[in-house]
Formats: sequence, structure tokens, C-alpha cells
Amino acid sequence: MDQEQLSAGLSARFPGKILGVDTFPGTNGRVRFDATVASDLFRSLRDDFHFTHLTMVGATDWIDHREVFYVLWSDADRRYLILSTDLPAESPVIASAVPIWPSANAHEREAWDLVGVKFEGHPDLRRIFMPEGYAYHPLLRSFKIHEPEDLEVKVRSD
Amino acid sequence: MTEMWVNMGPQHPMTHGLWNLRVRIEGEIIKDVEPEMGYLHRGIEKISEDRHYNEIITLMDRTCYVAGLSWEHLFIVAAEQALHVTPPERAEYIRVMSAELQRIASHLMWYSAFVQDLGLMTPFLYGMRDRDLILDLFQSYTGGRLTYEYMRVGGVRSDLPLGFTQRCRQVVDWLMDRFVEYDQLCLSSTIFHERCDGLGVLLEPEAVAYGVTGPMLRSAGSRRDLRKDRPYSVYDQVQFDVATATTADVTGRYLVRMEEMRQSVRIVRQCLDWLDDHPGPVMADHLPRWLGAPYAPMGNESYLLKRNYPTGVGLSMIEEPHGEAGAYVVNDGGEHPYRVKFRSPVLINIWAAKRYLPGYRVADIPPIMGSVDVCVGECDR
Repeated sequence: MDQEQLSAGLSARFPGKILGVDTFPGTNGRVRFDATVASDLFRSLRDDFHFTHLTMVGATDWIDHREVFYVLWSDADRRYLILSTDLPAESPVIASAVPIWPSANAHEREAWDLVGVKFEGHPDLRRIFMPEGYAYHPLLRSFKIHEPEDLEVKVRSD
Repeated sequence: MTEMWVNMGPQHPMTHGLWNLRVRIEGEIIKDVEPEMGYLHRGIEKISEDRHYNEIITLMDRTCYVAGLSWEHLFIVAAEQALHVTPPERAEYIRVMSAELQRIASHLMWYSAFVQDLGLMTPFLYGMRDRDLILDLFQSYTGGRLTYEYMRVGGVRSDLPLGFTQRCRQVVDWLMDRFVEYDQLCLSSTIFHERCDGLGVLLEPEAVAYGVTGPMLRSAGSRRDLRKDRPYSVYDQVQFDVATATTADVTGRYLVRMEEMRQSVRIVRQCLDWLDDHPGPVMADHLPRWLGAPYAPMGNESYLLKRNYPTGVGLSMIEEPHGEAGAYVVNDGGEHPYRVKFRSPVLINIWAAKRYLPGYRVADIPPIMGSVDVCVGECDR
């Protein structure tokens, strides 16, 4: 399935919620979607478009918003597909992909721990690398590694 | 019988690194497990946001300290996509040869540690001895035995020294004979089969759902190998077979890794033949100075500046010795990457322990987790 077919198929299923499909080197393209349809889009991609593998989930802090990206693999096409969505910086919340792809579990915990994106419906959304109660999400741009006063470990009392 | 939670780790002979496996047991039977990671988290993704592209290569060696060149390869492929750089073909062949030698070294390290978990001490010594021969080869052209800092955006740091291909052929010939001995030591041992057969079974549909990759997935009969499915560098130019097994247990993973080492030797030999016949540059000649090029074209001073350098993104997925590793690089036009994200195969393979450990006994944990090939450095990053 090439990029045009995929783009047309997704747009027909989710009118107005697919914000764009652009090229991405070595993949089937990058699909930017509206976060409100996340669960349905994941299910449709797995069941109708045969993206059986979820390879990677990550998040980027763009200061005014946060981007969550998913890398999917289709055994039928032998190509990757990248999903990307923008979340508001003040409340970065998106539906969890764990019910559709169980492999999202550790990836989403990592994105919560390091970038502070909340995944609704995740069975066990705890920190994975940082200690529980750590006050920062270190991969946010506001976390500066060259300012020693910011390096002080602040742990909440709760 | 009452149930209880037992901590295996962070300091435990089973873990091979600093992590904790919490196990809920009822008598001798494992009911549930809960891996706890993070003891070795060094924030490599965060540090990378503050380094030049070529400085990150130093961090890649530390990410996985038994497969440094594989991780350098991973990052370089993504960075070159993001920076719109094409390396010369000779550099690609040297990278593939290095990655395959590194795969053999990493599998030998796994073999040594794994058989020691089973109580077989002699194969450990043989495995470590033969791994040292590959480290000697690495030392002869990178200068390092564990952390190499060899690959660069646009190529590799230096060409191979004189006589290298000859020495390398001798080493891989020697190794092919040793692989026969390894199999004799293990597969003819009753202890090995008593402790490995039928343990840690993870069938293909579950392995796919839980994101398990690499030798663990191929031991369940899957033929998924990124070197075949989505060839990067020059893997589409070399012939090799995908190693698979059907038993999906610890013995199957052993057989897959052993066959992979033989296939890696095949690839190394083809690369050496090509490198003998095709001398040439190992570094792209059109790099801007700020990317670490040794020189810039005369009379083209604006070439030196990073002003107005095009932005880009890069995604590379490669078949690392432990599984499928990934790198996602965002170049926003600055001299540092805006965001670097790595996919660790080991983190996901450990995570699936919830599926392949329950039901077995406590004494089965060392062989099962040994067969996963845990490297905590890349897992915690």
C-alpha cells in the first residue's frame, strides 16, 4: 500500500481528523492526526491496514506544544509508518495504545517519565527510570542540565 | 501456600547488570513478575540535545557497552538522514563489516555469560578468549577495545590499516572452527538440555503483540530480520540467511544466535572481498566544516557556516545483536539535534517477561533471563 492509498483510506474513515500526510525518509510517510480520535485510529490501523507491530512511542517538547509520535510496522508492506499528533503543553493527554498494542506499555511509561505526557487508560502509568515522586520530567526543554541549582534533586513529600 | 514477593536484583548473579526483577512466588512456582529499571539511567537522550552530532557518537559507545559499533551505526544512519548527507560506498561496507564483527563479539559475550549461568565454566573461558580476537581487530583500526568512536556523520574516521583484511580472514576462519566446538560443549551436554529445553516459551503471536524482537522472535519461527526486510547501508548487496528456530524456548534462542554468528562470518567475508577490490574515500567530501569534515572547499567560506542549514528528520531501525534498535533524530537547523529518541530492544524484551516467566520455577529464571541477552546500558540509556 503506498502513501496515497493510505492517505485516502484514512481520510475516508476519519474525515477532518487526518491533518496531513507528508513524506518521511524510509517509511510509508508521516500521518498527522487529531488526538481526539487516537483510539479509533490505532484500532483501524491495526485491523484494516495491518500495522501489527508498534515499534516505538516517543514525545518531543516543542515548548508551545508537545508532539507524540508512534512508529508502526506492517508485515504486509514491510514499511514503517509514523503517526504524529500535537498536544497542548498545559494538558498533554492522549488515549493509551496499550489495549491495541500491548508493547506500548513500557514506551508510554517512558514518555510519561521523561516528557510528561499522560496516557489515559494505561494500566500502570508510573515512572520507569526516575524515582517515584521525582519533581521533573527531564526531557522538557525547561530542564537545564548546565544550571547546577536546577540539578538539585527535589522529591515531593507525598 | 502463601505467596510472597522476592527481589532478584539489583545485585544478583542472574541480572547481568543493574536491574531488579521482582518475582511473586507461591512455593517454587512463579506467579507474576515486575521488572524495575532505571538504576543505570544516565540521561543519554538529554545529554544528546546539548552535543554536536559527532560528539554523540561517544555516547553511543556507552549506551551499549558490548555492541558499541552497532549503536554508532544506528545513530549515524538516522543522523545522516536528518542532515541530508550521503556517505561513500566504501564507508558503508566498513560499517557493515564492523557491525557484523560486533554482532559476533556480542553473541560471544552472551554465550559466555549464559553458559556460566547454567553452571558450565569451560565454555565461558573459550567464549571470552575468542571474543578477544575480535577486539584485537577492532583495536587495529579504531584504537579502542570497548568504546570505539569510529563512525562519523558522512563516513568513518579512518580507512582500514594495511594487511587488515588478511588478519580478519584468519580470525573468522578460526572462529568458524570454534563454533563447532561450542555446539559440542553445549548441545552434547545433558545438563544443558535438562536446564534449557522447553523453558521460557514465547510463541510468535504473543511475541509480536508484546514487541519482542531479535533472536527471541526468530526462535519462535518468525523470519523477521530488518537486514532482509528493510535493508539499510549495503545489506542488500550481501548474501546471508535468516537464522530461525521453531521451539521458541531457551534452546531455540541458543541455536538462533549460534547460526547468526555463522551468517555474520559469511557477511564479513563478502565485505572483505569487496573492500580488497574497491579502494576509495571513506568520508564524504561535501560536508560542512561544522559537521567535522577535515577540510572545506577553497573559496567557499560560507560552506563553513551552519547558517541556513536545512532542517530534517531521520528514523533508522537496525537489527542490533539484541533485537531491533531504533533512533529518531530531529534536526531543527542548529548545531545540536533538537531531539534524539532511541528504541531499546532489551527494555521491551525484558518487559515481556510478564508473558514468558509465570508458570516456571524460581531456579528456571537464570537460564530464561540469560537467554534474553540483557544489556542494561542500552535499556536504561
